[in-house]
Amino acid sequence: MKRAIILLLALVIVAAVAGVRLRGSAEAEPVFSSRILMGTVVEITAFGADRRATTEAVRAAFDEMARIEALMGPGEESETVRISRASDFSEVSPETAEVLSLGLEVSERSHGAFDLTLGLLKDLWGIESGSPRIPSDEEILKALEGTGPQALSLEGTTVVKKSPGLGVDLGGIAKGYAVDKAAEVLLNAGIESAAINAGGDMRLLGARPDRLWRIGIQDPRKADAILGTLELQDIAVVTSGDYERAFEHDGVRYHHLFDPRTGHPARNARSVTVIAPSAVLADALATALFVLGPEEGLALLAHYPEAEALVVGGDGEMHLTEGLKRKAIWP
Amino acid sequence: MALRDLLSRTTLLDRVIVLVLFAAALAGAAWAAVAPGGERLVAESGGKIVFTAPLGADLTFTLPGPLGETVVALRGGVARILDSPCTHKVCIGMGGVSRAGEITACVPNRLLLRVEGGRGQEAEYDLLTR
Repeated sequence: MKRAIILLLALVIVAAVAGVRLRGSAEAEPVFSSRILMGTVVEITAFGADRRATTEAVRAAFDEMARIEALMGPGEESETVRISRASDFSEVSPETAEVLSLGLEVSERSHGAFDLTLGLLKDLWGIESGSPRIPSDEEILKALEGTGPQALSLEGTTVVKKSPGLGVDLGGIAKGYAVDKAAEVLLNAGIESAAINAGGDMRLLGARPDRLWRIGIQDPRKADAILGTLELQDIAVVTSGDYERAFEHDGVRYHHLFDPRTGHPARNARSVTVIAPSAVLADALATALFVLGPEEGLALLAHYPEAEALVVGGDGEMHLTEGLKRKAIWP
Repeated sequence: MALRDLLSRTTLLDRVIVLVLFAAALAGAAWAAVAPGGERLVAESGGKIVFTAPLGADLTFTLPGPLGETVVALRGGVARILDSPCTHKVCIGMGGVSRAGEITACVPNRLLLRVEGGRGQEAEYDLLTR
């Protein structure tokens, strides 16, 4: 009799434990972690069979982004700062050379709308510093002297500056590269379903276990609203907008995306969302399209048939490529 | 046959105990499957958790960061940054967070707020590009 009751009790316990485990596996809880890196909030969501191994891979992905930030960010020891301080030639790592190479290509194809040589101009406005200001026209002209697609060239891993005072800034492309490198770390750890979001620079690995990733696109004028949703997998998404990193003076908004032709914040767009195979390409294109505006911007994508874009023009009107129309769901 | 033999060797009380235990186990498993976890607001500074509160709490609190104190309000299940010593006040314009996984932050003051726990509602989107 006692043995029978013990047997039944054991069955009951097994059933209860199995129920709880079933619940856990059905939900397939992802590892979710966030850190402040590269001047923004970076979120990583990763699905993996082994939670401990997935957590470790996510940590390694953050470390990789921190390494890229140290290499290409505004820190005193970065290669970007070293290039800016050099009078002519500088030797850089193959990774920085890779980023510069793509940046120079987009710069040339966008006729300078994407520009890696605006370091002095950005310092002048100080929008990403604690003390932004509106510089005089003379100051702006001086900061633009010698800038543009021809001001910088690359020979292997040697960077050549045309003028000694040229300030190099990889802010419009390095974050995307860091996101791609983090994705590489996760892939190498065997993770096939993950999302890395660095303040709008996003890379998606696979789909979620149950469906495609749903990506909301921020409305550039309403903080709590979205323009629409994209259903995506295995792709990068990057948005650049005039609402982030900006200050207002006399009712005018001054943001961090500069038009290299004027030295002032670009006014042809409110926001641009680009999807492309890599975040580094999407990042550079988002800035270029923002400066160029809807018509010229979307025309630039003829060089990049694998990329799609949504441009919210300066007047608030939305312009989309055909491919993106098929992926979007509007509210 | 085995079951009849088993039943013949148990008393009514044995059977009641087994049934009660079985029912309790089933109820427990069902509850585990459907019940929401407790949602809470978690604040991090420099990668360390510096404050947590149930999301349903009604309070205003300050969190220290390298630039000074950031003021956060938790009201009606929504947490939002009310004030911060940063230059651009982007954090104040980011709006509130209320569902599991949502994040708001004052990046210059190195403060990050996120909603944890609970199962969250089926959201309109997984991630926001901005």
